[in-house]
Amino acid sequence: MKQAIYGLIFYIFLMLPPVISISESIMVLHMHMQMPLLVIVGMLFTPYLKEKFPGFFEKWNTNGVPGTLLFFIILIYWMMVPRAMDDAISTLSVEIFKFISLPFLAGVPLRDSWKKLSKRGQSTALISFAIVYGIVSLLYIASPNQLCNNYIVAEQKALGWTSLFTAIGILIYYVQSLFIEEELEE
Amino acid sequence: MALAEKKLGDKVNKALGVNPQDAKLTKTYLSLAFIVLLIGGTLGLLQGLNRAGLFTLPSWFDYYQTLTAHGILMILVFTTLFMIGYFYASISHVLGGLIPITRKLGWIAFGSAVFGTVLVAITIIAGNASVMFTFYPPMQASPWFYIGLVFLVVGIWLAAIGVFLNAWDWKKKHKGEHLPLLSYFAVGAFLLLFSASILVAIEVLTLIPWAFGWTETVNVMVSRTLFWGFGHTLVNVWYFTAVSAWYVAVPKLIGGKGFSDSLTRLVVILLVILNIPGGFHHQIVDPAITEGWKFAHVFMSLSIAFPSLMTAFAMFAVFERVGRKNGGKGLLGWFKKLPWSDVRFLAPFIAMAAFIPGGAGGIAQTNHHLNQVVHNSLWVTGHFHFTLGLTVALTFFGIVYWLVPHLSGRVLTPKMNKLGVIQTILWTTGMIFMAGAMHWVGLLGSPRRTSYSTYGDNATALGWEPYLFFLAIGGTLLMIAVILMVYIVFHLMFKAPKGLTEFPVAETDGTKNTPKWTKNWGLVVALLIIILAMGYAMPLTEMIFNGPPGSPPIRTW
Repeated sequence: MKQAIYGLIFYIFLMLPPVISISESIMVLHMHMQMPLLVIVGMLFTPYLKEKFPGFFEKWNTNGVPGTLLFFIILIYWMMVPRAMDDAISTLSVEIFKFISLPFLAGVPLRDSWKKLSKRGQSTALISFAIVYGIVSLLYIASPNQLCNNYIVAEQKALGWTSLFTAIGILIYYVQSLFIEEELEE
Repeated sequence: MALAEKKLGDKVNKALGVNPQDAKLTKTYLSLAFIVLLIGGTLGLLQGLNRAGLFTLPSWFDYYQTLTAHGILMILVFTTLFMIGYFYASISHVLGGLIPITRKLGWIAFGSAVFGTVLVAITIIAGNASVMFTFYPPMQASPWFYIGLVFLVVGIWLAAIGVFLNAWDWKKKHKGEHLPLLSYFAVGAFLLLFSASILVAIEVLTLIPWAFGWTETVNVMVSRTLFWGFGHTLVNVWYFTAVSAWYVAVPKLIGGKGFSDSLTRLVVILLVILNIPGGFHHQIVDPAITEGWKFAHVFMSLSIAFPSLMTAFAMFAVFERVGRKNGGKGLLGWFKKLPWSDVRFLAPFIAMAAFIPGGAGGIAQTNHHLNQVVHNSLWVTGHFHFTLGLTVALTFFGIVYWLVPHLSGRVLTPKMNKLGVIQTILWTTGMIFMAGAMHWVGLLGSPRRTSYSTYGDNATALGWEPYLFFLAIGGTLLMIAVILMVYIVFHLMFKAPKGLTEFPVAETDGTKNTPKWTKNWGLVVALLIIILAMGYAMPLTEMIFNGPPGSPPIRTW
């Protein structure tokens, strides 16, 4: 419950108009700050939702795979479709969809699924996650054209580089998890 | 009988973990560190006297050569050598001896660092590298200066890899256990130093072809940004080293217990993660960085205050408990009951206390408007003499009083302790005079990085004179303190009476309540990379893709 309250406060904070305008003014902040924070908001809601609707999660996400897939679909939509960010800025309904989809269709299923996944499932998810970031970085670094109407090419390249670093970060996390596997399972 | 004694000594030595080979490595590092301190200190005095207008350095070794050599020797070489020596001794003690590969890496790192330092020193003495310790382009030094720096950085990397391998080896043999606290600090500090020095390595590798003339121009903003990504972190790495002794050694020395294992580990993790993207507060008046990014970096640099305040709280909690145990009564009575006459406590305590004004001055500088008042003035020089010269160096000196006797199988005699107290007082007074005068005269506008000048007997410049005298007096006291310190180090290493000195590692509440995720270095590294990318990828891309044509070399001397 406590987590859900923190999540709610954070959610409202992210919705404040000045916060939205700052977090969407720079491409990197938009994709690598606002969006992950919305996912984290969803994660904070998860325990409360699971307590309220235990049957739902049990029925639809028994082994964690459907939840992870849903998370990836939402992730890929927001990260790999450049016009998604444009639409979010210019169209109110898409912006609302962003604020609902990232917490509830990405954050909630991810947290619910993670513990349910097998070790191999988690590894696959982490590697896929790194690959998504890798492709995103390629897309934004290599593209000679402006991909979003709202962001200039320099911002686009910066986004590409941050994505590459994020991919490296995730890979390092994965590699070390191979070494200290037994400890995390204690 | 003699044989029996010898055997007993060996056993005790073994139990206390003094491996003679490891001791030799650390003693070598510390010896060179304090020789460097002596040279750097002498240069500092000469430069201080010159800056005060009391004396003019000769043209074959002028003010700017002295300044560059003093800066590099003290800021890069002394601190790095001490840090490696200290942490290698620490992991040797808490992890049950260095593994052979780590010891080997320690020696290679030493060779690399010495070679690099010699190259740097030669180019400075030859008058081809008066670029100061920040070596900002477009001022251009001899390429060999930069190559020397590369060897220094390689030394750091090798030493860091040694620490990581040793910790990894220990983990393999102690599955499921938490790394002992002191080695946890060592891994954190070297992880931070390693990551930050990648930035400066990239900078130096772009400067080398430029210095050889293979490339014509250099992107000044990118170089400055890479430098401060490293420089800002480096100061925190020394602070990190000092803090490790505060948490682990100081409580034991005064007869107390460590405050909390979990809190200490959290401080380590926060220091590692939050540090690197704070460099722009050194570049607050630089063009080419938008206000938003400067603000983001200022926020990150101020966030370091959070673990620092946790440290302050934890340390004073330990002191209060010890003071009350020693019979201190009332609200502040415990304060009097602390072991003030013990230099092993006095020196680090003054170091901690000095971080209060030192840190406050730093926070002032970090703010945009206040920075405009003191930017590039002697205030800044005063600030880092307070933080590095008092907080860090005095903690390092405090470590010497038990580390060197421990390594050389000797003891700290009451006489040496007294000399140490005198040294500490002299050093503190000297630093207060010198850095205090620098702060004040900086507020009045006296510039840093500039030799003595009255600017054609301008009234304002003449108004600085009295403060500059104080600067010179402080510098002289410091020089006496340096000589005392070097004497103390070598006395403790070779002359003090034989005996056993314990490596002080304080007990804590243990690791049973320590969260498991604190073991997860991979997570720390991943967060470090991601936060680093958040702080630097965007501004650097802008500087590179929207950059000016670049600058040809300029030689100002």
